[in-house]
Amino acid sequence: MERRLQQIFFALSFLALLLILAAAWQANTPSWKTYQRNFLQLEAQEEPNAITKAAVLATPPEIHQVLLPGLQRVDRCTTCHLGVEDPTMKNAPEPFRYHANLGPHIPSKFGCTICHGGQGLATDKESAHGKVDFWPNPLLSKDYIRASCGRCHKEGEVPGVPELTEGHRLFETQGCRGCHKLNGVGGSIGPDLTSEGANRRAPEWLERHFLAPNEVSAGSAMPNFHYTKEQARALTYYMLSLTNEEMGSFFSSLRLIPSAGFGRQLFVEKNCISCHAIGGVGAKTAPDLLGVTKRHSIEWIDEQLVNPELVYPGSAMPEYDLETNARKALVAYMSSATAEDAQSILSNKTRTMTPEEIAIEAGKQNFSRFGCVGCHGTELQGGVANPNAQGGEVPSLLHVSDDYTKDEVIAIIRNGRTPPLDNAAGPTPPLYMPSWKSVLSDEDINRIADYLWSKQQKAKDAW
Amino acid sequence: MMNLIREIWQSIVRRDPLSTDKGKTELVFLNVWLHIHPAKVKKENMKFRHTFYLGFITFFLFLILLTTGIALMCYYRPYPPQAYQDMKDLQFVVFMGPFLRNMHRWAAHGMVICVFLHMCRVFYTGSYKKPRQFNWVIGVFLVLITLSLSFTGYLLPWDQLAYWAITVGTNIGSYAPLIGGQLRELLLGGHSVGEGALIRFYVLHVAVLPAVMILFTIVHFWRVRKDGGLSKPIWKLKDKKEALVTIGAPAQVAPLQAAAASKDKTYGLMEVVSGKPIFETITPEEEEDTVFSYPYAFVREAVVLMATVTTIMTMSLFLNAPLEELANPAKTPNPAKAPWYFLGLQELVSHSAFLGGVVAPALMVLALLAIPYLDRNPSRRLADRKLILWLFTIFVVANLVLIVVGTFFRGPGWALVPPWVHVVGGAE
Repeated sequence: MERRLQQIFFALSFLALLLILAAAWQANTPSWKTYQRNFLQLEAQEEPNAITKAAVLATPPEIHQVLLPGLQRVDRCTTCHLGVEDPTMKNAPEPFRYHANLGPHIPSKFGCTICHGGQGLATDKESAHGKVDFWPNPLLSKDYIRASCGRCHKEGEVPGVPELTEGHRLFETQGCRGCHKLNGVGGSIGPDLTSEGANRRAPEWLERHFLAPNEVSAGSAMPNFHYTKEQARALTYYMLSLTNEEMGSFFSSLRLIPSAGFGRQLFVEKNCISCHAIGGVGAKTAPDLLGVTKRHSIEWIDEQLVNPELVYPGSAMPEYDLETNARKALVAYMSSATAEDAQSILSNKTRTMTPEEIAIEAGKQNFSRFGCVGCHGTELQGGVANPNAQGGEVPSLLHVSDDYTKDEVIAIIRNGRTPPLDNAAGPTPPLYMPSWKSVLSDEDINRIADYLWSKQQKAKDAW
Repeated sequence: MMNLIREIWQSIVRRDPLSTDKGKTELVFLNVWLHIHPAKVKKENMKFRHTFYLGFITFFLFLILLTTGIALMCYYRPYPPQAYQDMKDLQFVVFMGPFLRNMHRWAAHGMVICVFLHMCRVFYTGSYKKPRQFNWVIGVFLVLITLSLSFTGYLLPWDQLAYWAITVGTNIGSYAPLIGGQLRELLLGGHSVGEGALIRFYVLHVAVLPAVMILFTIVHFWRVRKDGGLSKPIWKLKDKKEALVTIGAPAQVAPLQAAAASKDKTYGLMEVVSGKPIFETITPEEEEDTVFSYPYAFVREAVVLMATVTTIMTMSLFLNAPLEELANPAKTPNPAKAPWYFLGLQELVSHSAFLGGVVAPALMVLALLAIPYLDRNPSRRLADRKLILWLFTIFVVANLVLIVVGTFFRGPGWALVPPWVHVVGGAE
């Protein structure tokens, strides 16, 4: 018995040793080392003499990684994809092939996953490509990869990706914010979309969802907007670009300069020409902007755009709520602006509006920007299905003045309302009027009411 | 030269050669680490079917956890989201990182199971009876510390599994009246699981709880030793008289009278005591049944140690510890489940938050602590203890059934879903 026990003890100790060795062997033979060996052999073929050949082959295996500190990302893709930045690897087999058409987006600076998706931390193929359980964004397929441009290029047109611009436009004009929150603004009937692109495993799902919400998500309250295939694709692209990562500030730290085109767009939008002139063309209230980038440093102009009064106490210039990239774009535009360009901006300006017209226009902007159009329609026609609500659909707003006073309508917008039921015993209708008082100021709400009243079709006149 | 080496060796071990009986005794007596063993042990106590060595296995698992835990601390930052990234680094770039983490994970689950089984063994053999009542109480605390260690460790990977298990787990605690909310806030360092909770759980997990665990373990072992080692196997009990745990404790002893100190007395002989000590003394007949701890007890313990280690290693080689997505407070999994050993509690809570979340667990712990004091029956024979055996068995089975239901039969919205039915998620 005692002898037997001693033998068992030694056998078990030996087994423990074997198990440790097995674990060490397992740890010491990861697949990336095989890839690196194959790559070295590929490189050694090109070497002319035996000494350099041997030197190449003797390179010790190591993990390559790109750290993007501001983004909490670590991309180890280049541990296996060793030739991405090496043009001589143009015709090499994957995973060693050179990545053409990168422009300024060099992997050693940007990593790979911000465009491609996948799991940058991983060092085996399956996990790295993210096609494993519990990784929210696997590699994007060819069809959707261009959507990633929008993750950094937030404002203005992205060259080569018209879908993003169109998707953004649809999102802001079709009233998506009525139900969905984006960056804190919007309703709460549907899911928050702020990081939709970071958590969506299958882009195909999104696209099918835009074409027919109820087919992929049973019982969804989202109405079918009868989008075309192109529109669904554009919206999918826009959704995929929403990741809630601090991309803008990260890449502005890389000293990327946003386009002058976007700056010009802002210049027109913010109506700068109504105070400033460029080369003598425009208003004379504020300084002429021709050559301003030569007279002042970029930091000075940036500060001026953030807080004019800080630079010139008593300055009449309003504070614009401009993002870092927007301010950079304006600077880029100012450095290239000419008097001819100012002339063309001036000639496109419509006549000045009366204060009433301004209030109605502001109301219209609010009505579409905060998503009212999502349910009530771009022409106030209503008609989105809402089962078991009275009438079975969201009411048209073209006749509100018949039933309500302006103050009553303002109260409904402020406090929200659940629609009266068609059948009291039936299910709760999926759509309801949210309360807007925490999102919109009283002035904004008044302007929306002004806008509604300007659109009323006078039923009484028909008598 | 050889003399010098021999002298150095002698100065270290200081005992006679192990070939002599004196040497075997001194191996234990003269070594601080082995001193927890007596020089000689009863043969019957070494039988595997007497204890299944469950206490030893639990202790060995704790040793594995200490070792692997200290190694893991070298790779871990208790701050979100770095904590999760460190898990990924362990998985993908640390040499033998997955093996290390797997060992820690499986040993932790194993310890929860073994400490529970050990408690059952001690209960069914009646080993909590006089004079070991208080050691049972210490044992119950050790069970609670084991659960706390496991629970605090559960949060550290900072993935969805961890985040929501701890959210659910701490919510159960907040149902306690008056102090529940504050208690939760104290534990989490805030109103919800966040950075504050992670650092607090980390400190509890790597410093406070292990220290408390070691202290309680020392007292637990010391008392077992002082109470005469393991209790007598129940198959050796012949009648009620013999049923007492301690061999030496006299049934009826007149209380000792303390002698009044004499005014003239200037010294005392403190080692001179009257009466028998409460701990074990061995009669000459019993002496016959004993053997030296070395090698008989040690070789058995060594076998159990290596069996435990190899089992955990084998599991760690083939089974990977789970790691889900990064913790996301905005995305609640449905259903969100507590760690498996608390799923019985969560199941109770789903029926009544106050009764299931506060009253039931409090009563359970109190009942466990009070068992040795409520059960006045001196007999350890199974035939004499039918009622309490039934009660305890019902307690154990009810716990297991609740855990199994909570783990395998609860689907989205905590609806009753058998595990063989696949539920299609609503969102994707």
